[in-house]
Amino acid sequence: MSVIKISNLTKTYSETQVPVHAVNGISLTIEKGEFTAIVGPSGCGKTTLMNMIGGLEIPTSGSVEINGLDISKLKSNELINFRLHNIGFIFQSYNLIPVLTSKENVSFIMQLQNRPKNEIEQRTIQLLQSVGLGDKLNSKPNQMSGGEQQRVAVARALASKPKFVLADEPTANLDSKATSQLLDIMKKLNEEENITFIFATHDKRVVDKARRIITLEDGKVISDKVIK
Amino acid sequence: MAMLFKIAWRNIWRSKLRSTVVIFAIASGLVGGLGASAWMNGMAKQRVKNSFDFQIANIQLHNPNFAVNLDVKKTIDSVNQKIAVIKKINGIKAVTERLKISGMASTANKNLGVTIIGVNPKSEKEVFTLYKTIDAVSGNFFDTQTKNGIVISKALAKKLKVKLHAKIVLTFQDFNGELTGAAYKIIGLFKTSDSNWDKSNVFVENANFRSVLGVPANEYHEIDITLNDYEQAPIISKKIQQKFPAVLSEDWAQIDPYNSLLNNFMGVMMGVFMLIILGALGFGIVNTMLMVILERTKELGMLMAIGLNKRKLFIVIMLETTMLSLVGAFIGELISMFLIRYFGVVGIDLSSMQQGLESVGYSAITYPSLEFIRYVQITIMVIITGILASIYPALKALKLDPAEALRTV
Repeated sequence: MSVIKISNLTKTYSETQVPVHAVNGISLTIEKGEFTAIVGPSGCGKTTLMNMIGGLEIPTSGSVEINGLDISKLKSNELINFRLHNIGFIFQSYNLIPVLTSKENVSFIMQLQNRPKNEIEQRTIQLLQSVGLGDKLNSKPNQMSGGEQQRVAVARALASKPKFVLADEPTANLDSKATSQLLDIMKKLNEEENITFIFATHDKRVVDKARRIITLEDGKVISDKVIK
Repeated sequence: MAMLFKIAWRNIWRSKLRSTVVIFAIASGLVGGLGASAWMNGMAKQRVKNSFDFQIANIQLHNPNFAVNLDVKKTIDSVNQKIAVIKKINGIKAVTERLKISGMASTANKNLGVTIIGVNPKSEKEVFTLYKTIDAVSGNFFDTQTKNGIVISKALAKKLKVKLHAKIVLTFQDFNGELTGAAYKIIGLFKTSDSNWDKSNVFVENANFRSVLGVPANEYHEIDITLNDYEQAPIISKKIQQKFPAVLSEDWAQIDPYNSLLNNFMGVMMGVFMLIILGALGFGIVNTMLMVILERTKELGMLMAIGLNKRKLFIVIMLETTMLSLVGAFIGELISMFLIRYFGVVGIDLSSMQQGLESVGYSAITYPSLEFIRYVQITIMVIITGILASIYPALKALKLDPAEALRTV
């Protein structure tokens, strides 16, 4: 069953005199439980494509259907609400809320979803333990290493029980040890809990773990390989 | 909602220096505003109180034609009966009766026009406290029986170049229109904070004065009434007017509109003062919050990306601004309260400007005072300022495009 169905998606930036076609007629589907890497050189349209899948940018044409709903037709506030309940985000520079502890960062999403207090408490601790941060519940981002912060970001992305997780260059700021730990955690979550991960990455270590590799160039898909 | 409060509160302390500067700006603005208001309020209150205590009481009754030129013949009759009725009205503290005419005070050196006030010392002291301004070495206010005794001010004595126990001659028109006069011995020297009033009023005893003046018994020019609560004056004055339609009953605001104007003016002045201060603070807060939003663009983009809707984002920014303002206001009010209380007891001494201040009826030592309700009003005004100041920065934040915001460094 496909979670994401992208049809003839384009994004053109017209701010400059010469329009830039960041994404140029991409069509693809992502199935539940995939561990997919979108790769390609800088400026090939990876982040733009990820942003449109995540409802952060509106396509110039084409559609992004998530579980059958065309999100490109949603209004701004509906999109925010949709993201809250359906999409988990992991960013390159962690982007945790700096004034909150790791526990508060993870539980914040569930509070926005108005989940019961007990459930929030249990799930927060369980998620942080699953990413190996059971002992860092009350640490603030500035008291943790980059790898630890990114693991909190993973726990936060999963907190809302999303349909899929979008991770834009999640390992770009991490050393090899932290990268390896993070990838192992995400791979495990993918395999054991069937969570769908989509990465935009340059990192060979991420690509090596991926089971599907979509390569972009000049806003177009030039290859789409499933690794057996 | 609790988490939004937590984020807003902790955000304030992310940049301690900046928040401290803003809090200090708000606090010092409020100390300045409240302090100046309390000072002006204290001055005005003191002037109004002096006017009640020494000059006009809370309510005065006259013959309706008396005020035109203090005509000696325009008296109120059956005064004792009227006073008996007035004393029965609720809220009346004390009543006294006065004879009052224009005349001339003369010494060998000088002549000066004055208002001669004939008093009943016993009831006069219940209504007015002028006698308290006479210190031990300056005589008394008709405490001892002295034939033709007169109490004048120190300022008038200086002008007439006379001292305690000296004699002065009062010349005036009697009830029959004849020019008459008598010599009086100065038995007391008073001093209030209104030097002009001091120079133009002298006090003699009714008993002696009546015989020289020729006013029929039980007739007086003025009845002065003091109340338990001066703010009740308009209501009680109306009641008295209804009971005695033939006389003119006026409350303190009607007798001396300047006092009433002063009272209202101080309220307006304080409002204007606070408006200017809060306006300036508001712009300062807007500026700070715009800086904050600029600095946190990426973070705000992330919050919108992960699902914080616009309403909640607006609330976070509004809470942060309002709490920042409130902390400043709280500190400012605390300092103001302490300073106003302290100087309210010790007083602010402006003796160097004494002559000028007293010539317009103000004391050289001022005791700042501010009603508690003013502090409450200021807190509400600061909250409103905080909310208003947060609107523009919050709207700016709401316009952010999450994808673009996330791209910022």
